[in-house]
Amino acid sequence: MNPVTPLLKGAVIAYQWTLRPILGCNCRFHPSCSDYALGALSEHGALRGTGLAAWRILRCNPWNPGGYDPVPPRLNRLAPRAPGQPET
Amino acid sequence: MDQKRLFAAIALSIGILLLFDVWNRTMSPPAPPPAPQAQQAEVPLPATPAAPGAAPAAPAAPAELSPARAEAQRVPVENPRLTGALSARGLMLDQLVLRQFRETVEPGSANVTLLAPRGRPEGYFAQWGWTAADGRTRVPDNETDWTVTGGPLAPGRPVTFTWDNGQGQIFEAEVSVDADYMFTVRQTLRNSAAEAVVVLPWARVRRERTPQTLGFFILHEGFVAVQDGRLTEITYSDGRDEGNRRRAQGSAWDNEAAEGWAGLSDKYWLTALTRAEDGQRLRSAFRHIPDQGVDRWQVDIAPPAPQAIAAGQSAGFASRLFAGAKEVELLDRYRDQQRIQDFDKAIDWGWFYFITKPFFYVLHWLGIVTGNFGIAILIFTLCLKVLFFPLANKAYKSMGRMRLVAPKMQEIRDRYKDDPAKMQAEMMALYKSEKINPASGCLPILVQIPVFFALYKVLFISIEMRHAPFFGWIRDLSAMDPTNLFNLFGLIPWDPPSFLHLPVWAIIMGVTMWVQQKLNPQPPDPIQQKIFAWLPVLFTFMLASFPAGLVIYWTWNNLLSIAQQWYIMHLDKKAQAARPPAQGGRGAGGQGTAAAKK
Repeated sequence: MNPVTPLLKGAVIAYQWTLRPILGCNCRFHPSCSDYALGALSEHGALRGTGLAAWRILRCNPWNPGGYDPVPPRLNRLAPRAPGQPET
Repeated sequence: MDQKRLFAAIALSIGILLLFDVWNRTMSPPAPPPAPQAQQAEVPLPATPAAPGAAPAAPAAPAELSPARAEAQRVPVENPRLTGALSARGLMLDQLVLRQFRETVEPGSANVTLLAPRGRPEGYFAQWGWTAADGRTRVPDNETDWTVTGGPLAPGRPVTFTWDNGQGQIFEAEVSVDADYMFTVRQTLRNSAAEAVVVLPWARVRRERTPQTLGFFILHEGFVAVQDGRLTEITYSDGRDEGNRRRAQGSAWDNEAAEGWAGLSDKYWLTALTRAEDGQRLRSAFRHIPDQGVDRWQVDIAPPAPQAIAAGQSAGFASRLFAGAKEVELLDRYRDQQRIQDFDKAIDWGWFYFITKPFFYVLHWLGIVTGNFGIAILIFTLCLKVLFFPLANKAYKSMGRMRLVAPKMQEIRDRYKDDPAKMQAEMMALYKSEKINPASGCLPILVQIPVFFALYKVLFISIEMRHAPFFGWIRDLSAMDPTNLFNLFGLIPWDPPSFLHLPVWAIIMGVTMWVQQKLNPQPPDPIQQKIFAWLPVLFTFMLASFPAGLVIYWTWNNLLSIAQQWYIMHLDKKAQAARPPAQGGRGAGGQGTAAAKK
């Protein structure tokens, strides 16, 4: 895992413990955008995880029905390579 | 309702940073005493911008050694906005008063003094001179008495300073001033000796002490420069650290650029230097000079390389000095007419420049139209609220349908009492199948954060707030509300310590915040609930010493949120009355409304 991922996750967790109590739970989805971001970062790495989280936040608006929206599972061809895994 | 939380969040983070900063300052050890520097102790003004490899200017004989010397000649400076004087000894602009700004709101208050002579603790001046890059040319110094032609200095009436060094070089500086805050100085050296000379002309601004700063993280005070489009801001404390780290180079920061300016900025005032002729490349530097235990600060500009002036030739350097108030329209005008790159960025607009600047223009215009900047703030906040209202209203629209499915929701709640995650998931599934969703979403919150932060920032930095009255006891929107609960608003003749300051507007703000919170749903987490309950108290005390304009704005914003909430609930009730009662009856309906408010 590249070192940026834990950093980003740390930022999201920091948000959950500081800003979220005050901003309130405005998310239209389950899991919430921040939980989704954590999941996406673990599952897909920094780059794709950030992209997924950003897309999720963009969808989290009053014109989207919302609802249950889990992190998409990792597809092998899109997944970040594990360390040592040969380039294909 | 979302805005309130948003504000709370912004304010809380500001508060945390503020507290951290205070803590930081009390915890940090006092600055180490500067290393004894014999030369600097003798020469009050050491660090002239030295060209790379150039020998330092020969130290001047201290003034004390010649007590019989006549008083230095002073040339008055007069324009519609400034009054002051240039000293012919050392060629310094060392007295400048802003005629249109007063120190306090009291009627007889003195005008704001920007520049003061160097002997004084508050010394702050601009100076023009040369460094002998060849190490032998005799150049003017702090004790040089220049010959003055003309004066007093006024718009359209420049004054020329001349000095003959007795070795065949004649130094000349033509100083002019416009009707606002801009000085232009054309320095020329005529070499009539048989040999070439190599000199470096420079202009500098020097401050003999560290000013009282607000130390507030959203407002920059200290060195500021734009160089080839890049903004650099260095606080006094960072300037000290950098100065110590780069002692060998002699500057805290320096840079060569094709375009730009460099200066020293206060909250409302600025001194800045730039070149007067297009195409002239500039080397700019910020310097920290520890001198007898006092921090001195200097901004200087010079051509990038010394000028070699052959026999019979002359060469020069033209620079501009801005010394005055950071009025946005004036800075814009200088930026456009005198091509001073991004000069408006002397005002700390922050990261959200593209929002803060337009906000400023609208507020400024409203201030002129209404004649009261406080009213302008109220109107502008109202407009923003109206703009964001559809987002709140959209959430409201699903509330009607919500009541119809309330029984199903109750059923889910009962079934998954012990598994909140599962309950949440089921609820979401229900929202989706029934096409209802009570939350406004994360995106609207995210969009609003910069907008409201920008407004806050504009109010904080805007000179329009300075000494601008509101109603009643608020005579200065940029100062804190002077009333205090702890002396019963002046009934008790007692001056409470500063931490016991609880003005009327802060109390009103706390009450509105509390009411607004009551209208909002409680967060599900008990710890978060506890934090939430204390926020109004925390904020009341935190905002007590804030500029009154900000507290009024905050209060108004809370009131608008309450009104908005009330309006939505009112519509909701009307809708409820118009419909036949839902299956679950009123109790379940109430549940639905509660959920809908989240």
